[in-house]
Amino acid sequence: MSARLNAAARLNEPRPALVAEGFDGSPQRVNRQGVEVVREEWRVLDRWWTEEPVNRRYFEVVLESGQNVVVFRDDERGCWFSQRGA
Amino acid sequence: MIACLLIPGFELRAALHHRPRTLLRPAALAPLPGTEPLLGPVTAAAEAAGVRPGMRLGEALATCPSLVLVERDALLVETEWEQVIRRLEDNGFAVEPVEPGCLYFDTRGVERLYGGVSPALKRALAAVGSTWNAGAGAADRRFAALAAAAIARPGQAVVVDDQRTREFLAPLPLTLMPLEAGRREELDRLGVKKIGQLAGLPGSAVAERLGPDGRRAWSLAGAEDGGNAGWNDSAGWNDTKVSARPPATDLAERLEFPEAVANELTLRRALTALLDRILARPERGGREIRKVALSARLVGGGSWRRTMTLREPSGERGTLRAALGPKLAELPAPVLSLGLELLTLSESEGRQLALVPPEGEELETRLQEGLRQVRAHAGAGAVATVVEVAPWSRIPEQRALLVPRD
Repeated sequence: MSARLNAAARLNEPRPALVAEGFDGSPQRVNRQGVEVVREEWRVLDRWWTEEPVNRRYFEVVLESGQNVVVFRDDERGCWFSQRGA
Repeated sequence: MIACLLIPGFELRAALHHRPRTLLRPAALAPLPGTEPLLGPVTAAAEAAGVRPGMRLGEALATCPSLVLVERDALLVETEWEQVIRRLEDNGFAVEPVEPGCLYFDTRGVERLYGGVSPALKRALAAVGSTWNAGAGAADRRFAALAAAAIARPGQAVVVDDQRTREFLAPLPLTLMPLEAGRREELDRLGVKKIGQLAGLPGSAVAERLGPDGRRAWSLAGAEDGGNAGWNDSAGWNDTKVSARPPATDLAERLEFPEAVANELTLRRALTALLDRILARPERGGREIRKVALSARLVGGGSWRRTMTLREPSGERGTLRAALGPKLAELPAPVLSLGLELLTLSESEGRQLALVPPEGEELETRLQEGLRQVRAHAGAGAVATVVEVAPWSRIPEQRALLVPRD
């Protein structure tokens, strides 16, 4: 029987972000906009027992335009992402 | 005449359909987890190495250390079997599937189409395809047709003459009879090894010694000449009639998860999303569902499948969810995808109208109409449901899934 296949997609998937980081690793510019303030910072270490461990350093920042953005540095892949719903 | 088409070791063949090289090696179908460790069907190479179907796993591995154990894949078996049946139906055969690897059909409808019984059987074998090593048999009774198919070589059709059924069955071994192993051993100890020997015994003596099963086997052996026409046993099984299956409904939905899901709550939500989609399919035409199958592709390669026949046909989402939900607890491993198939729909679509419409029905209708408009405007895939799968997760993208509602 040919089933209609529908792949479910993840909500709030991370998107690659262009981030310039400071000496302490915190974001200074996000997608070519300066960071006004870092509101919160936290770390997520999870799934270390699998082949796809999660090791992220999250920052909730307010940009020059007033936009509130959550970005994280993926320490496994060494790159930055922005994410909604975090 | 009644024809039987037999594919020996279908489950093993289906599991190895995309790995044909393994068929040439000693391989056997592994026992189901949690059951007695007995092997399923084995390949010819395994048989040559001394491994037999039904052998204990330990004994088989000691006999043939290079034996490859093939995992059972219920979903793949069902899919491949359905394709075999569809190919036969496409060629005009109205088939009655008994189990994966065995089906019957009446040749009366196709004899004139293909120019006789033998050409019809050849056509059926060609429709199935040579990769399955199917054998076909035809006789005036189902059991004789099954016996003929069982002794046929791959790709061969054996037609038993109406008047010679008893002579045909007489030299065949008792292993072909639908008898319990204990009964067969009992007969073996008594020196009864052939079907003809069983048929030669007095019916009353067989019934007294072996009970109703033995009496039935004796009758199938052809001991009652001419008495089998329209004969029904206690289970209502008729040895001279074939009940072709109703036209298959092609209503199936499958949902793939981005990663393996084991949480029952998540699976129940996914089931609800599947029910919403399948009930909205226009092919259903308002008909209610009589029989439904739930299947899953398991992490690590296996599959799982359960069918359920509803006591009363229903098209209500809540009823179907209540009926199918508990089945999800039987899943043996995390799943990569979940599937739902409507196997049988009721013929009628008439329904008693409710005196007082259920609360929220009007709102639901308006909502559905609104969604239809959005879909029509924005195209397929524009409407999706958010299904929370792990709201407690620390990883944001793992908390919810977007499930298309087309």
